[in-house]
Amino acid sequence: MSKRKAPQESPNEGITDFLTELANYERNVNRAIHKYNAYRKAASVISKYPQKIKNGEEAKKLDGVGKEIAKKIDEFLQTGTLKKLEKIRNDDTSSSINFLTRVTGIGPAAARKFFDEGVKTLEDLKKIEHKLNHHQQIGLKYFEEFEKRIPRSEMTKMETLILQELELVDTEYIGTICGSYRRGAESSGDIDILLTHPNYTSVDEKQPKLLHAVVEHFESIGFITDTLSKGDTKYMGVCQLQQNDEGEEEYLHRRIDIRLIPKDQYYCGVLYFTGSDIFNKNMRTHALEKGFTLNEYTIRPVGVTGMAGEPLMVDSEKDIFDYIQWKYREPKERSE
Amino acid sequence: MPEIKLKHIVSCSTEDNTHKADNLLSSDTYRKWKAAKPGEKQTSVIIQFEKEEQVYSIDIGNEGSAFIEVLVGHSTSVKDQDYEVLLVTSSFMSPMESHNGTNTNRVRFFGPSLLVKAHAQEKWDRVKIVCSQPYNKSIAYGVAFVKFHSPPDKSDPPTTTTPKMTKLGQFRVKDESPSACPSLQPGSLFFNRESTSKASPALKVSPQTEKLSYAAAALQSGSGHSSAPPSSNSPPPQAPVKRKFEFSKERRSALAPPPTKKPSPMGSPEQGTTTPKPKAKPSTASTPSPSTAKASPAQKTPDTKKKESLPKPEAKPRQKPSKAQSSSSEAPVPLNKIMEGVVFVLSGFQNPFRGDLRDKALAMGAKYHSDWTPGATHLICAFSNTPKYSQVKSAGGIIVRKEWVLDCHKRKQKISFKRYLMDGAESSSEGSDVEEDEESEEEKERRTPQKRREEERQPTPRKTPIKKEEEDLYGGSTDADEPEDESGMDTEDELKRVESESRQKKGEKERKGVEEEDPFGGSTDENTDAEAEADEPIPELPDFLTGKRFFLYGKFPNNDRRLLLRYIIAFNGEVEDYMSEKVQFVVTSEGWHDSFEDALMENGNLSFVKPTWIFAINDRQKTLPYQPYTVVP
Repeated sequence: MSKRKAPQESPNEGITDFLTELANYERNVNRAIHKYNAYRKAASVISKYPQKIKNGEEAKKLDGVGKEIAKKIDEFLQTGTLKKLEKIRNDDTSSSINFLTRVTGIGPAAARKFFDEGVKTLEDLKKIEHKLNHHQQIGLKYFEEFEKRIPRSEMTKMETLILQELELVDTEYIGTICGSYRRGAESSGDIDILLTHPNYTSVDEKQPKLLHAVVEHFESIGFITDTLSKGDTKYMGVCQLQQNDEGEEEYLHRRIDIRLIPKDQYYCGVLYFTGSDIFNKNMRTHALEKGFTLNEYTIRPVGVTGMAGEPLMVDSEKDIFDYIQWKYREPKERSE
Repeated sequence: MPEIKLKHIVSCSTEDNTHKADNLLSSDTYRKWKAAKPGEKQTSVIIQFEKEEQVYSIDIGNEGSAFIEVLVGHSTSVKDQDYEVLLVTSSFMSPMESHNGTNTNRVRFFGPSLLVKAHAQEKWDRVKIVCSQPYNKSIAYGVAFVKFHSPPDKSDPPTTTTPKMTKLGQFRVKDESPSACPSLQPGSLFFNRESTSKASPALKVSPQTEKLSYAAAALQSGSGHSSAPPSSNSPPPQAPVKRKFEFSKERRSALAPPPTKKPSPMGSPEQGTTTPKPKAKPSTASTPSPSTAKASPAQKTPDTKKKESLPKPEAKPRQKPSKAQSSSSEAPVPLNKIMEGVVFVLSGFQNPFRGDLRDKALAMGAKYHSDWTPGATHLICAFSNTPKYSQVKSAGGIIVRKEWVLDCHKRKQKISFKRYLMDGAESSSEGSDVEEDEESEEEKERRTPQKRREEERQPTPRKTPIKKEEEDLYGGSTDADEPEDESGMDTEDELKRVESESRQKKGEKERKGVEEEDPFGGSTDENTDAEAEADEPIPELPDFLTGKRFFLYGKFPNNDRRLLLRYIIAFNGEVEDYMSEKVQFVVTSEGWHDSFEDALMENGNLSFVKPTWIFAINDRQKTLPYQPYTVVP
């Protein structure tokens, strides 16, 4: 999962901000993924709320806001601050760990390890660069650039370039830029490409060549500048658009992920990686209610004993919505 | 793969008045089971096997369901939970197809690789089929047919009892002949017919003398000849020889599985019983065919007559094998005998062409089976990779293109199927006729047990004609007896090889086949995570504490709280979450507490006991008085 950047503005930005901060704290410092999810869900539902929330009681009516979060909202609205948050912010540990995890390649575990070794800042990290793995070194090298969001216009440029170049490698490739960009976001954190080829299905052997050919091509045209990791089906790296003419400002380095997915699982993958993650959770819940289990690979009917059935044939995202009898939602409408 | 016999329907969720669940029991008819009304959320049917069996593969014909799941259980299973998944929920119609009501009758074949392994390895005697159709509330859905096959096992003797009364279509055939035999065995069929036609005089109709005389001649001369060399002889005698040979062989193989190749001509007993009656012959031609799809008798009779009026029509087939077996030697054969001995199965054809094709083949004397059974000889296939294609391929059957039938019909000649093999391999036509016969014989031999069963279940009046007609076909190939010894090995070896090969590839093939035919077939996930656990009967739990209500007070050391809860519930006592008037016993390990007095004020019947009481009951497995265990202030 990419390093999440703050969600977009809303009349309740103050609340969503502190909830997001709490969420990240729970994930990065406490490694409590469920608390993280709970805060994020609350933040998401509140960010959709059209009016300014007046008190915790009002917020509690929203799905995803419970007693504890309502209490925190009250505290925040009444005092303008949150004791727990203050404590966290003042806590050297959590703020440092939170900071370290902003470097790609450093997760909560590595962050804690580095912190225990006394590494707290970017400068500290640079001093122990030899101790970092390749991924982390790249993360450090481009730290500032990766922190910057990618404007939609640049995403569009990259999409055009990528699809055009894919065509050159093999006309049968199908590529989709997923993530928030596909949902119409004005800016994105990174670029996430889902790739498939009709010759590659889940019954076939893995075909790393299909992925590597694309990566090599992007390297040859100078689009991909660094590689973080390269597996049979997933590539993580760094890309950069070339300047068109001298006067133009140089483009920043961006994080790029390319995943090669079997054709029969492609649309489940596209659905999953388009998100949002909260939309995905809701959709899975609905699927279960209708007797299906949905994941990033397949949708399968659930039998009377609860055993999942055979993967259903999916040839578009809409097929998945059809199976669970949900009205199709365009990527734009999938924020939750 | 012997088919598992279905005994009866145990229950079904609902059934249509006409399309009853019982329809699923008879595999030779395509009558379906449907729910009583459209839009049911889920329908299910439970079927009892005749005996406990391991399920090796399943064929399912759909009737409007979007998903079908197959579970297995035992007659002792009472609850739904006692059933284990054998075939995970599988898709038969997409939402779109369901909406539009298209492709409602997709057939899927599920081989061993698609069944839940753990459960496919055990024996079961019940199956539960669960269907659902969430996408179309206006159709009543169910299953068109379902077949279960047990693992192929050659050493398995034909133990199944063969019902005397068999049924095909609307006809009941009384089969008294001890040698009720596979459709492919001309001789025995002939005898069979004799006995059946005798038994049922209604079947006898206008006599056709030519036929009769031929048959009679054949029979009479038959005993005199042993396996006839492929020399030119008077054809009629040869035919009977062949017949005898077949017959005896078959009988032997039925008694002792390893059949010898050498034909031992023994016919006297049979001959005696089967002296041809003039009347027997016509029976077939003019018997109204039970199934509408079959060539109408009217068509048939003229054909037969015309052909038979040719001088010595019987001689012709004989010449084929003897004469350097070149395709050119395909001699004119009566139309209704061209495909005698062929039991064909169709795959991938749609009506009306399907009906057309079938009629043509039937008119040429072939026999139609709806599904591939051990008795079938040829699969006529529209595309490779239909489920039946894979099934037959793995069973080592012959798969041909439709042109075989069409060309045979057009040219009114028996043409070797070799040129029409589905995989496109055109073997030289040399010797093909002989080989064909051999192959079918070989197959017969191999499968005699099953076949016999199959046959006995399905003999029909219709067969009678074929039997007779088969005579010349096989009569002609009598000479095959000789080559059989030399080439027999090869053929057999090849058969074996093909079979083992196809078995190896089977999983893959099946998967592919299914997949291509059926867009939903691409199941690669093997859901093996479900543990196969034999249903062991759950021991009866004692009820020492029936009617007693407990409240657990305070803290308990170790894991005692959990244990206490377990024991109390196991012994049928009840545990209250909160202190209330209903509580009779307070269990505590903390000794007397002041609040107990207050509780006693409210409820004088309350007793305070130590956990040891419960443990003691468990230790001694009987009800004990609680008094020794009370907690006192």
